[in-house]
Amino acid sequence: MTSMHPLQHQTRRHFFSRCSVGLGSIALSSLMAAPAPKMRNPLEPKKTHFPAKAKNVIFLFMAGGPSQLDLFEHKPQLTKLNGKPIPESYTAGKRFAFMDSSHRSDLLASRRSFKQYGQSGAWVSDLLPHTTSIVDDISIVTTCKTDLFNHAPAKLYMNTGSGLFGRPSMGSWVTYGLGSECEDLPGFVVLQSGPRGPRGGSVLWGSGVLPTTYQGVPLRNQGDPIVNLSTPSQITPTQQRQVVDSVRELNLKHLVETGDDEIATRINAYEMAYRMQTSAPELMDTSDESQATLDLYGIKDPKETSFARNCLLARRLVERGVRFVQLYDTNWDHHGGPTENLEKHLPPKCLDIDQASAALVKDLKQRGLLDDTIVIWGGEFGRTPMGEVRESTGRNHHIDAFTMWFAGGGFKRGTVYGQTDEFGFGPVENPVHVHDIHATLLHQLGLDHERLSVRSQGLDFRLTGVDPAHVVKGILA
Amino acid sequence: MKRLLIFLSSLAGATLHAAQPQPQISFNRDVRPILSENCFACHGFDPKHRQADLRLDTFAGATEDHDGIRGIVPGDLTQSAAWQRIISTDPDEVMPPPKSHKPPLSPAQRTILKTWIEQGAKYERHWSFEPPKPSPGSSIDSFIQDRLAQEKLSPSPAASPATLIRRVSLDLTGLPPTPEEVAAFLADPSDQAYSKLVDRLLQSPHYGERWGRWWLDQARYADSNGYSIDAPRQIWKFRDWVIDALNADMPFDQFTIEQLAGDLLPNASESQKIATGFHRNTQINQEGGIDKEQFRIDSVFDRVATTGTVWLGLSIGCAQCHDHKFDPIEQKEYYQLFAFFNNQDEPTLKIFDQNLDVRELTREFKQLETQIKTFIQDHTSELDAWEAGLTPAIKKSLSSFLTKILALPKNKRSFAQNQSLFAASVGGVGTFRELNDRYKEIDTLLNQGVTTLVMKELPKPRKTTVFIKGDFTRPADEVTPGTPGVLHPFKSTPLQPNRLDLAKWIVSPENPLTARVIVNRIWQQYFGRGLVETENDFGMQGTTPSHPELLDWLATELLAKKWSLKDIHRLIVTSNTYRQSSSNRPDLREKDPGNYLLARQSRLRLDAEVVRDVALSASGLLAPQIGGPPVYPPIPDGVMGQGQVKRTWTVSKGADRYRRGLYTFIYRASPPPTLTVFDALEGFTTCTRRIRSNTPLQALTLMNDSGFFEFATALEKIIQSESLDAAFRRCTSRPPHPDELAILQKLDPLTAARTLLNLDETVTRE
Repeated sequence: MTSMHPLQHQTRRHFFSRCSVGLGSIALSSLMAAPAPKMRNPLEPKKTHFPAKAKNVIFLFMAGGPSQLDLFEHKPQLTKLNGKPIPESYTAGKRFAFMDSSHRSDLLASRRSFKQYGQSGAWVSDLLPHTTSIVDDISIVTTCKTDLFNHAPAKLYMNTGSGLFGRPSMGSWVTYGLGSECEDLPGFVVLQSGPRGPRGGSVLWGSGVLPTTYQGVPLRNQGDPIVNLSTPSQITPTQQRQVVDSVRELNLKHLVETGDDEIATRINAYEMAYRMQTSAPELMDTSDESQATLDLYGIKDPKETSFARNCLLARRLVERGVRFVQLYDTNWDHHGGPTENLEKHLPPKCLDIDQASAALVKDLKQRGLLDDTIVIWGGEFGRTPMGEVRESTGRNHHIDAFTMWFAGGGFKRGTVYGQTDEFGFGPVENPVHVHDIHATLLHQLGLDHERLSVRSQGLDFRLTGVDPAHVVKGILA
Repeated sequence: MKRLLIFLSSLAGATLHAAQPQPQISFNRDVRPILSENCFACHGFDPKHRQADLRLDTFAGATEDHDGIRGIVPGDLTQSAAWQRIISTDPDEVMPPPKSHKPPLSPAQRTILKTWIEQGAKYERHWSFEPPKPSPGSSIDSFIQDRLAQEKLSPSPAASPATLIRRVSLDLTGLPPTPEEVAAFLADPSDQAYSKLVDRLLQSPHYGERWGRWWLDQARYADSNGYSIDAPRQIWKFRDWVIDALNADMPFDQFTIEQLAGDLLPNASESQKIATGFHRNTQINQEGGIDKEQFRIDSVFDRVATTGTVWLGLSIGCAQCHDHKFDPIEQKEYYQLFAFFNNQDEPTLKIFDQNLDVRELTREFKQLETQIKTFIQDHTSELDAWEAGLTPAIKKSLSSFLTKILALPKNKRSFAQNQSLFAASVGGVGTFRELNDRYKEIDTLLNQGVTTLVMKELPKPRKTTVFIKGDFTRPADEVTPGTPGVLHPFKSTPLQPNRLDLAKWIVSPENPLTARVIVNRIWQQYFGRGLVETENDFGMQGTTPSHPELLDWLATELLAKKWSLKDIHRLIVTSNTYRQSSSNRPDLREKDPGNYLLARQSRLRLDAEVVRDVALSASGLLAPQIGGPPVYPPIPDGVMGQGQVKRTWTVSKGADRYRRGLYTFIYRASPPPTLTVFDALEGFTTCTRRIRSNTPLQALTLMNDSGFFEFATALEKIIQSESLDAAFRRCTSRPPHPDELAILQKLDPLTAARTLLNLDETVTRE
């Protein structure tokens, strides 16, 4: 067993003699105790299809469907006709969630007060006082459209461009297309706040038909920020380093014997895992942030999980080169039930996110990161102009027109795009379909949505699906 | 492009000999891939997307006269408009057009098309729609070696006996060999001993577990309902059915029929009904406010797509919304297949202990019920007297259950209530007691046991229509069950053919696809890639086989061996091709970096479940029992809170903590991370080939996960009680080299154990 097989001998000689080949030089230098250089890292930064306007994305996802009619869409006609049935021309042939139940479908006025703000004169309600201070930094799109009206499928649709499970999510596509510029954290990170996980769960950041390398990694606020990040408690740091070192040494020997590049990838993976063990806790430890910064975001207790803390973490992540950060804040489903109505429960939800969302844009801007970073705010759909009366007042799911906003990364500063009808039911000009949002996002990142594809099960999968999608030029600077 | 490489290289080789005549171009091998990749999207089968009324997928279409212009004129390049457009340098003229983002055809591709047109532009039917061609007297090795010889390559020497026994044990059972098994094989590594080893492994009950998981991937098996609510479900009896059927080497045709239509077989047995769980592995949406019909139809879509992918290797799902762009499947034909799956009721089957005579017990139960009723009627007066004699004090002492019954008027009491009352009062002894006790005993027996999800045909079929763009709210023409016209004819006598007829059509010997698809998918497990690389697409967009004659030979062998999968496994693992060393070679790195020609084996990272199984085996903790309800080994904190509904995870005690990976409970919305990190599936859709990723999260799992740490502490004890050498052998099935041992000897035993479980070699099949 100890005598070398002739083939093995030949292989070994081959690797040492051809140092111009990446693998050979790596094996050689590593055997000489140099640190293993980067090799075949699937997250290595890649070339864009054309010059990019932005490098990173932060998506603030309001899970449940925020009511655009109580936040951004000022509709005097809706107020005037409060309590009247919606003209049938609007609803004929439409399908709604909870169709089988007989909730009232009369028009419901917003009880919020609206004012216009900034150069763009954007309407914003009194529920979002801090957002008013960034209206001149953002593009507000009031005519977003989706195809699916139940939570889980619609969330999948917003994230993957399809209501079916098993498709790659936006963050996976982006890290697949661009790689990551961060060597000690995952390229796609997910943060969560609110009373429970988002409907749909981990498939929302799944990699579908793409390799799992590209799936979102949830950073958790309790316990290990990443599953299995901590060294077992019985193990000393020295022992952990010994494992990494001895695994590398033995793997290198085997790499030389077999000539299998996968071993090189694995050696790299162990190095990155080891670095993550330090860098992820460092990321989560916000004690180096100033009180002024904490105040800007409205973080009361930096140790407590909150949307505000997650916004701060999002900034820290893009600072470190993480490509795609997604924040989920749950409980935006205000149907009018005892714990989900517009009067009592929408205001505290807005309080949770308003200041921090605005602070994130301001903070990125003051640090010079906003030009490279796209910030998106929105949910999987919006809510109906018709009221839904359960125990108290609410609104049903609505897919024909809802509001999202976009900031940074080459998006226009201070604009309102799209026009909805007098009740805010549907678009009258410039509808923006979810696939258009995807196409636009990829465009800003230097990726052509028609070329970013992967072949599986006989189909070329794309984030934007098969029907034509358009880059929304009207919101680009 | 990759798929073309080999064929191009052989053509290029041929053209070096300029004196020889042009090589004969094969349409299927050489031309179709180019046309399919570059032309068919706009000039193919689908009339809705066809441009300029030109189709290039048929001879008639390509040569049709359009006002004097013809796409292709056989033998005449200057008159062939398609060729002129391909070689054009004008961006407005050139094909494929720049806006398609397809690069202009390469010089090699042009040479092929040019030669093909010059040779008369002969078309062939797509290879996979033609029946497999037999090659009597051949063997796997002859096909592989002939091809290697053409490329002037030699096969690799056989792997070492230690590597070989670990390889074949992992491949056939998903478990590494024991140190004793390795020692025995090393003492006699002869062909006969190897052949005996293979027989032993094929007889091992763990074979069914290993290959069962292969099939469960395709069946999209999981233990919960999926979507957002993701409640747990019971369908593990189906999983056990698969393991048992494979262990018994149930012929694949029967295996197919029972899963697709076991309920429709005459006098269907319980086991045959359980088998129909295959198509109950679809998700169920329990979210509020949904349209139930929408999700029922989604599950039927899934059944059609899964059947097409698993058995036919065709992306039939593409025709859900429109005629297939690349394969000759019309939208109408899609809905004809849909019709087979549209008539199901979706019941739950109760499964009793095999030792129970359920029929007899049910009969006795009914009889007892009558007897008890009669007895109570005959003794009403006694009960009345008892009731009349109840003082308030006695009443107070009675259970609230009885008090509630007593509060009811006598004529409103149910049988069960009367029965309880009677038992608690005057019936406490004698005949009534005997009858009642037996009644309760049978009741308990009949109510215990597990359930599983099965298929059942509705007495009256649902109406099936085409859905415009696949939208169930837009029904169009009504259709009846049928199969795609491009394949072998559907011979069914009944007016309303059902799933059984479909299943029989699929396993008909005339079917050119199924046997090829299955042997290819088996081959893929052994070499990391199928002979057809696109294992789920044998259509026009799929890759052509790297060794077409070998694929056909294996497919005909499968039929000749009466669909015995074990015979195919034996054929493959006893071949020299399989037994080669997997080490890379300088000449192969140059000539065949992707190892398409198989001049060596491939190193394959173990499947997620097997990563666990190997660590359990190495550390001596494995609990090897087969089958039964899913188990709950430890998982990291907080994992179960990721889904919409937080699910509990009570860690299994005793042996169930150390069961093989395939028995771990899988919640689709929050699957166990130690498995998914190694690319295990959530069971959302059928999967015919797993991705093999290689990530830092895998490193974190092997180093830090509490489960793997526990395995390491067990391996540490083996180092202490036996030796480092023994622990190394348990992980890799080979002795360590002195320099490897030297590295490990510097470590404390626990660090050495953790190192061993983290080695690339430990989680790899060499």
